[in-house]
Amino acid sequence: MAQTVTPGTSPEGPRPSYMYKVVLLGSMSVGKSSLAYRYVRNDFRELLPTVACSFFTQMLNLDEATVKFEIWDTAGQEKYQSVCHLYYRDAHAALLVYDITNKQTLSRAKLWLEELEKRFLPNEIVIALVGNKTDLAAEREVTTEEGEEFAQTKGLLFMETSAKSNHQVNDVFMGIVQELLRREKEKASKPFPHGRSTVDLRASEARTRCC
Amino acid sequence: FQGYLPANVDRRESTLQRKRKEYFAFVEQYYDSRNDENHQDTYRQIHIDIPRMSPEVLRLQPKVTEIFERILFIWAIRHPASGYVQGINDLVTPFFVVFVCEYIEEEEVENFDVSSLPEEVLQNIEADSYWCMSKLLDGIQDNYTFAQPGIQKKVKMLEELVSRIDEQVHRHLDQHEVKYLQFAFRWMNNLLMREVPLRCTIRLWDTYQSEPEGFSHFHLYVCAAFLVRWRKEILEEKDFQELLIFLQNLPTVHWGNEDISVLLAEAYRLKFAFADAPNHYKK
Repeated sequence: MAQTVTPGTSPEGPRPSYMYKVVLLGSMSVGKSSLAYRYVRNDFRELLPTVACSFFTQMLNLDEATVKFEIWDTAGQEKYQSVCHLYYRDAHAALLVYDITNKQTLSRAKLWLEELEKRFLPNEIVIALVGNKTDLAAEREVTTEEGEEFAQTKGLLFMETSAKSNHQVNDVFMGIVQELLRREKEKASKPFPHGRSTVDLRASEARTRCC
Repeated sequence: FQGYLPANVDRRESTLQRKRKEYFAFVEQYYDSRNDENHQDTYRQIHIDIPRMSPEVLRLQPKVTEIFERILFIWAIRHPASGYVQGINDLVTPFFVVFVCEYIEEEEVENFDVSSLPEEVLQNIEADSYWCMSKLLDGIQDNYTFAQPGIQKKVKMLEELVSRIDEQVHRHLDQHEVKYLQFAFRWMNNLLMREVPLRCTIRLWDTYQSEPEGFSHFHLYVCAAFLVRWRKEILEEKDFQELLIFLQNLPTVHWGNEDISVLLAEAYRLKFAFADAPNHYKK
């Protein structure tokens, strides 16, 4: 499913390299850009509202593989969503971000999930539900259990984070990478899995980037 | 003055007074409705976005926050077709700073305590900023209505224009699968405010105001000149990811008036060569 950049030819050894496209989705000001910024630059600051989409990359050297993340940080305002679907096309993973101090943003994350379910086959994309702003626990409107339960019923990864105090931000992305790599392995060990034709189709299709 | 004042100098002062009065009548009429159910989302978002604005100016002073909130809320209520769109908040800043600078030295602006200005002066600045922003947005309202057709169209036009003026750059972007929408959407949505320092934006917009359709039509040529300005760097970059990161973070931090003057001169040249010849747009 991932675009393999240089399979097994890295000078360090026979580790495969993968490129994964990750997209951040969620309401306005839940902290999508701050999560990306914390993850890529390990810093936190007040950020301007994202217009359309910001783009980051991050390299990961893991024991089992080299992974390059292509991170697409989208604007939360619905007005921009006319262009948004262009960004999550061909994504390998999605972070559905909500703000634990604002219940509405969880509902919005659920709508995003419906949208993704329409556009991707089950298991075609790794999805994580992320409750951000744990540093504002005093103003919490969504309990951990509520997020967790929803994630469980839908088969999503789940984590609560704080981009501000650097709580579990790395862990979210690591969780995603591990799930993606696990799926790679699963695919490799089952040479003719059910639904293989879908994978073939995607692989033979010239990978055209869209916005 | 964004063409909202009459050409006749004698009538200016009275028009200005009338417009200011009119603005504060709007405030009286609408501002209390900001916590009503149907408006509270708009107000809430404006309230959240203002502290997140360009950190170069007068940031987080309570007085400034208050004024910006009122200007943006009133505009959103009076323009229900577009309503408040993130990015519009940026557009108030240049006008506000220019008007404040009439009362202080330009160098002071970053540390200046706005509340030290007399209340009446502040009110005039607020009303004038509102009308200037309104007038500006009137010319580009389809940028901010549903699905932002104005922006989509302008990005497309930019692409066509660039393919005519610098085919090599255009092909290079195309080869590396970089789409204009991925970087130029923001150029249109925020009128290059996010791409250059505020002092440059003010200089740039000053020229836009003196051009017919400056903020819509002429802006396109400026964007084309702006892109081609980086042709060397663009052509050296051979990787989609690096290209996009470069285009979304152009190194303009140290730009000054001179850079904008060069950019404008190039834009005028392009306009002269390509304007009113729509076939030049097309392949």
